[in-house]
Amino acid sequence: MPPLLTVDIEKRLGGFSLQVSLHASPEVMVLFGPSGAGKTQTLHAIAGLTRPDAGEIALDGRVLFRRGRPGPAVWVPAHQRRIGYVFQDYALFPHMTALENVAYPLRGRGARQKALALLERMHLAHLAHRYPAELSGGQQQRVAIARALAVQPQVLLLDEPFSALDIPVRERLQGELLALQRDLGLVVLLVTHDLQDAFAVGHRLAVIYQGQVVQVGPVEEVFQRPANAEVAHALGIGNLFTAQVVSSTAEGLVLDWDGLLLEAPPHPLPVGHEVTAYIRPEEVKVLYPDRPLASAVRHNIVAGCVVRRRPGPQVHTLQVALENGETVEARFPAYSYIPLDLSPGKKVLLSLRREAIVIVQRAGRTRKALDLHG
Amino acid sequence: MLADALLLSLRVTALATVIILVAGTGLALLLARVRFPGRTLVELLVTLPLVLPPTVVGYYLLLALGRGSPLYDWLKIDILFTWWSAALASAVVGLPLMVQSARAGIASVDPTLEQAARTLGSPEWEVLWRITLPLARRSILAGLLLGSARALGEFGATLMVAGNIPGRTQTLPLAIYDAVQNRDWATANQMVLLLTLVSLVGLWAVRRIEAPRPIKGRQ
Repeated sequence: MPPLLTVDIEKRLGGFSLQVSLHASPEVMVLFGPSGAGKTQTLHAIAGLTRPDAGEIALDGRVLFRRGRPGPAVWVPAHQRRIGYVFQDYALFPHMTALENVAYPLRGRGARQKALALLERMHLAHLAHRYPAELSGGQQQRVAIARALAVQPQVLLLDEPFSALDIPVRERLQGELLALQRDLGLVVLLVTHDLQDAFAVGHRLAVIYQGQVVQVGPVEEVFQRPANAEVAHALGIGNLFTAQVVSSTAEGLVLDWDGLLLEAPPHPLPVGHEVTAYIRPEEVKVLYPDRPLASAVRHNIVAGCVVRRRPGPQVHTLQVALENGETVEARFPAYSYIPLDLSPGKKVLLSLRREAIVIVQRAGRTRKALDLHG
Repeated sequence: MLADALLLSLRVTALATVIILVAGTGLALLLARVRFPGRTLVELLVTLPLVLPPTVVGYYLLLALGRGSPLYDWLKIDILFTWWSAALASAVVGLPLMVQSARAGIASVDPTLEQAARTLGSPEWEVLWRITLPLARRSILAGLLLGSARALGEFGATLMVAGNIPGRTQTLPLAIYDAVQNRDWATANQMVLLLTLVSLVGLWAVRRIEAPRPIKGRQ
């Protein structure tokens, strides 16, 4: 099936240049990236709230915008696009009740009934006559979604929809959003800078970094195999390092990280090549000095010295200085390693699990890297 | 004398109010929402009658409306020294109050709400009519009341362009001046009291409109 929504736009904003190319089918596609990367600008361009300098936007065969591309120039104004937009702060009309908000785009005699049905779909019919100021954040957001659906859109755009909500409300809404997408066959583009959201609702992830889409793919795949160091950085992946390949065989690689030799899974790389690699903090294991080693942690055992310990409610983070002068982060559940003294200054043994060392291509080699991964 | 002046004042103020509402809302929208070259100049010109002596405003209006002016040549109507010109003079002097208040109100409407309305299928006029103006309603009303009150009390500019013809262009403020000149203290007192009361009620209404309303809180 061809993609329903195709976006290929360029826009200069001061010193910043946005260059986004995306194709989306009925699915939840998460636009992920640090703030200021151009995610909201992309949504605005799709909705017709800003005009790109050049490019083309098409929805279901209908060109919404075209300039500087083959074919006649096209500009469909926002009010004729029928694209649902849920704004970051919901943008409910404060002088209208929930029902009036949802009925806003509806005309004619059935408007009230249709609006009420939409509110019912979002489990809000009992609050229909409240004003936005009388609703909680989660309720306001559901009104905003119901209102966006009232234009019967094929595309629903959501800008940071969960950022202002507490965790239980957030999880329920994420479930509701997925159900909506499935039932209505919507193309959902959701902007977030929170990876938890991406994992919770995203079918695919598009990483946007400094105005460009740097990688698109299924969420797990992008996270497991970032195409380059920029993506890894944008995803907030820790323990990124640069090393040299000293041996490359069918069994695996040996990397030289500033004098520390590490084994890694096989990768088609020549000896002497400089690579960027990372190991996620969850994969760095602290070893009990008095216990036999499990096979999974038998490789890459390194000694270090605890620099800092950051306790959290569920996970603790440990920073360890290695003998080569670098620092790695280990992250583990709060109930682990209770018998060990992990206070700053203590010597510890770590295992950088061999299978968890991920080779990342550098910027500028994105295409090749993607091809290699097939 | 009192009844004539009162009726004329009401008529002049009513027309001035309509002019202030239409021109003031338009100018306020333009200044609050549209970036164009010369915006500062427009803003200064609209505000100028607030600080200029009314006689100077009246003098400019005389030049603009009188025989030989481009406006007169174009429209071929002479409204000088009729109640129409009195209404126009009052409107020009009351306009800055309206524009300032309405402009602030419109500027404080969150542009995201207007964008939301656009994505919901509203062309610009509908965004204006259903979102921007209703949300700026209180500032517009307050500005309109202040502008009308100012128009009701207009003296100097009106005298310049409409003269002081009893029964034709003599509004209450002018009638008060005449009454005092003629030492007709009884009439002067009545009219002064009437204007003071009307102005007080107007100001009180503005306060009521502008007072922050208790927002129905979250349960």
